[in-house]
Amino acid sequence: MSRFELPEIDATRAGLVLFVASVIFLYSPVFIRPPSGTFVFLELAVLFLLYALILIGLNLQFGHTGLVNFGPVAFFAVGGYAAAILTANDPYRAVGLGFAWPVGLVAGVLAAVALGVLLGFSTLKLRDDFLAIVTLAVAEIIQGLTITFRDVTGGSIGLQNVPRPIADMTGGGGGAELFATIVVLGSVCLLAYGVFHRLSASPYGRVLRAIRADEQVTETLGKRVFRYKLVVFIYGAAIGGLAGALLVFYNGAASASFFTIDVTVIVWIGMLVGGAGSDRGVLGGLALIMGFQLFTRFLNDLLPFVTQDQFASIRLVLVGLLLMLVVKYRPEGIWGTAEELEADS
Amino acid sequence: MALPLAQELIFGLVIGSYIALGAIGFTLVYGLVNMINFAHGEFITIGAFVGYLAVVFGGVSLPVALLVALLVAAVTGWAIARLTFEPMNDAGAVPLLLMSIGLGLVLRNGMRAIAGPDRRNVPVAVTTYRFDDLGFFVTSNQLFIIGVTLFAVLVLHLFLSRTMVGISMRATADNERLALVSGIDTRQIRNAVWLAASGLAGVAGVMLAVSQSANPSVGFGQLLLIITAAILGGAGSPYGAVAGSYLLGVGIAVSVAFLPADIVALSSTMAFAILIVVLLVRPGGIANTEVRTS
Amino acid sequence: MGGSVDAANRTDRRTFLKKTGACSVLTAGLAGCVGTEGNGNGDGNGGTPTDEPTDGDTTAGTTTEMAGPERVVIGQPASLTGQWDFLQPAVSQSTDLAVQEINEAGGPLDATLEVQRRDTAVDPQQARQVVRQLVDSDEVHAINGLFSSEIVPLWDFLQEQQVPVVTPWPGTTFLDTRGGDKGTDDLGDDEWLWRTVIGDTVHTSGAAEAMIDEAGIEQMGILSATSAGEEGWTRQFVNWYESLGGEVVEVVSAQGGQSSYQSQLDRLFENDFEAWALSFALEDATTIIRNWDEGGYGRQLLMEDGLRDPGLIDAVGDVAEGAWIAAGSTEGPNFESFLPKFRDAGDASLHPWGVAAYDATNVIALAIHHAGEASHDAIQRSLGDVARGGGTTVTTFAEGKEALDNGEEINYEGAVTNVDFTPHGNVWGDVAVDRVTPDGFENEFTIGADKLQAEIDDY
Repeated sequence: MSRFELPEIDATRAGLVLFVASVIFLYSPVFIRPPSGTFVFLELAVLFLLYALILIGLNLQFGHTGLVNFGPVAFFAVGGYAAAILTANDPYRAVGLGFAWPVGLVAGVLAAVALGVLLGFSTLKLRDDFLAIVTLAVAEIIQGLTITFRDVTGGSIGLQNVPRPIADMTGGGGGAELFATIVVLGSVCLLAYGVFHRLSASPYGRVLRAIRADEQVTETLGKRVFRYKLVVFIYGAAIGGLAGALLVFYNGAASASFFTIDVTVIVWIGMLVGGAGSDRGVLGGLALIMGFQLFTRFLNDLLPFVTQDQFASIRLVLVGLLLMLVVKYRPEGIWGTAEELEADS
Repeated sequence: MALPLAQELIFGLVIGSYIALGAIGFTLVYGLVNMINFAHGEFITIGAFVGYLAVVFGGVSLPVALLVALLVAAVTGWAIARLTFEPMNDAGAVPLLLMSIGLGLVLRNGMRAIAGPDRRNVPVAVTTYRFDDLGFFVTSNQLFIIGVTLFAVLVLHLFLSRTMVGISMRATADNERLALVSGIDTRQIRNAVWLAASGLAGVAGVMLAVSQSANPSVGFGQLLLIITAAILGGAGSPYGAVAGSYLLGVGIAVSVAFLPADIVALSSTMAFAILIVVLLVRPGGIANTEVRTS
Repeated sequence: MGGSVDAANRTDRRTFLKKTGACSVLTAGLAGCVGTEGNGNGDGNGGTPTDEPTDGDTTAGTTTEMAGPERVVIGQPASLTGQWDFLQPAVSQSTDLAVQEINEAGGPLDATLEVQRRDTAVDPQQARQVVRQLVDSDEVHAINGLFSSEIVPLWDFLQEQQVPVVTPWPGTTFLDTRGGDKGTDDLGDDEWLWRTVIGDTVHTSGAAEAMIDEAGIEQMGILSATSAGEEGWTRQFVNWYESLGGEVVEVVSAQGGQSSYQSQLDRLFENDFEAWALSFALEDATTIIRNWDEGGYGRQLLMEDGLRDPGLIDAVGDVAEGAWIAAGSTEGPNFESFLPKFRDAGDASLHPWGVAAYDATNVIALAIHHAGEASHDAIQRSLGDVARGGGTTVTTFAEGKEALDNGEEINYEGAVTNVDFTPHGNVWGDVAVDRVTPDGFENEFTIGADKLQAEIDDY
């Protein structure tokens, strides 16, 4: 509906093609080493793609349906820990069952879906702001549980010796595994984007936006609002769990500090800055914020009058200022439209 | 004869009082300006630093420091709100929320850039009153924080029920459109809300500086508990927020006493469990505020 | 409606094509490094930057001089923001002090030593990016930093970088058998992590021994934080204490940042024990100690090593008077000369990690000078050589550089320990139990490192 949208068919197809190509690339003996000097950007790109997966689900939930989920990190964490616990080989002071990584991947998604079903059934009838705080609370509870049950999760230092399928299948060294990771995650992301975008552009998506605009009216039109909301909530949970599993398979470890409230904050900022409801805009917003965070890391040499120690704080001040400026001049988000915003507030 | 639970109750009231001072202001802003203010923790931090400066460099007593912090934080918070939130008051809840996240980052890290990350202690002499026969003790500091909170609630009550601005505030919170039609100056009300909310945050900051320390993230560390208490109480209701805070405080204290040893670290997570249980049983929160369609 | 959609689609396709084009260009740029596995190109170390790119050309004319770089850069991942921000000032100050001294002595390889300090907020995700940036963009020669909670989840990643990391932070037992050069010159078995701070295994075994043998305390309670360092200390202390025949009656764990810990203290002190241990970082520890004093709970208090900080004395020195603190001796051979220099350099409050950062910086600089070149491999090989026993004993970079230039082997004696790296890159030290007084710490009893060495197998 927004003029920035591609015809939806392209993303799904391109994602599929790229995914097949990336798998062939992984199995082939060919590798590509990125030039030195780019590694930190590629490292950020990996994280961006993982967070983008969460964001794609979150945008369906909030941007299209109006479900205020303030705890996307809960599903990210559950997916990550489920995958890590099932696949880790003899982690240091934690439980690792040593299954193959596909088992962990499936289990990560299923565990997140299970949490989504449980949470969806019990809380989706709450009003918006209460749903927000309940999901936030659930994320905090998950964080508390992972720290408390440290004999299973490894507590604050986490679980190690989780398989790293992409790195293991990529020889070559010197950043070749970074490149391969980006190709694979990029294709997964593109595919997810295509599927979710197709969903939201379909008649199904129109029902979702009707729910966001006015739940009661939609209900009287004969749509089973609760079921729609529940399904959307579970879709978001599943893709968040997938992202969590992919994160631990990338790092070869899970740790409580990979799954803090900071993840929730950054994907929400990305979504709102980009313009909630605009499928491509939200990804642009996330790229903008994460890119700016990295960009400011390079600035400290340009400010000779502050110490490196002070600069660390000033860098975060700059991030905050950017956010304030964007909100002030584009309150509906950079790629958002005012009408979508009105329906939200 | 030892009174069962008396000690836990006192500890819970103390924890709850720290939360309540922040939660009242948070919920006033939530109800009347219609925004979730993620920078509320930084208003508390401002109070903590003002209190530290007043006690350590100004040499004043704690009650005077509270008053100073109340005034400084109130005016500073109001001024910041005028600069940042007021110009976009009509933009809706979502942009205001984002603006507050950005503002929080700026204030928290700006204070760290200026003051450094050091933990600055506010020295206060404490007397302990023991009632060993009854099985509990209470310190002058604990009595003080509970007293300050109750006094703040009393003043707030008088303000809301006896002054024109306060009555207008309640009317606006109940029904903003009707209030507008009745000729209530909503701009004046928002000014009053920001002054009251930031002033109370300043008081909370001084008390936290005494129990923990004045440092750039002292207020931010309390934010999740404050939001939880405010929502638990029924968003927008100051009395509900106070009740929610004390429920959380007592809940935390009791769970520390009775959770099995292996999982006693979950006590600080209990606040969120309490919230979920209450909302599932009573979807409007403690005060059961009317569900406003958004 | 229909027309505008078409127009929109056209622009979409155009931007899409543009982007695809840009991507192809990027890919072509990357494609310079295409290779296949197994043809000799993939030695696993291709992208690792080693030396300064310019040094060969600029110094080629002066053949008699050692052909070294103009500047040597140490990367320092730092806790400048976030939960542990208050620990960084002492580490920054003593690192900068060491760098200043090193440069006054002419620098390693006669190059200027610089520190590139970047914030990780002790978040492993950010730490990963920072290490990438330091290694790949800043092209640092070695790294001086990283906490336990960053090292453990990033272990594989750090090993793959093949950049020597010498860190003053981690106490975790995870590193007891990981890190160091395994006592060989062969890099194949090396793990690229060394620490100049005494591990929890040593602190806690000494503390447990002191409690049982010296103080005769047989029952203890513990109040512990859930953060990585504190939780690790508690777990390890309980192990040692119970293996020596003591009984830990209850461990009460709590998350940090609370406004009051009275409930936790009340629960702990319902038990019978003679002494209680406190494993919390400084800020919460001062809150707890004040709560403990106000509650009149009494009994002997034993604190973890990280609290050996003048900040503790300032905050609660009077009410904690008589409490014990067990720390791997924070005072190495070189401490007496370090302390006044540190005091002159700034006003940061000094804790054991701050002292260890001074050692880490000096050891790195000496290793670079010893190596004769600033490549990662050569530095990694030299770290053990300059710090382990044998050769002329030195306590500063200046002395070490002079001795090395005279062709001697050297043994750096540090400010926190004698920095005799074990094969796993760990350091030993005596464990001292000090008593808190309003004016500072006074030694109560000391458990010698030799005695502990006999009991600890893998370290």
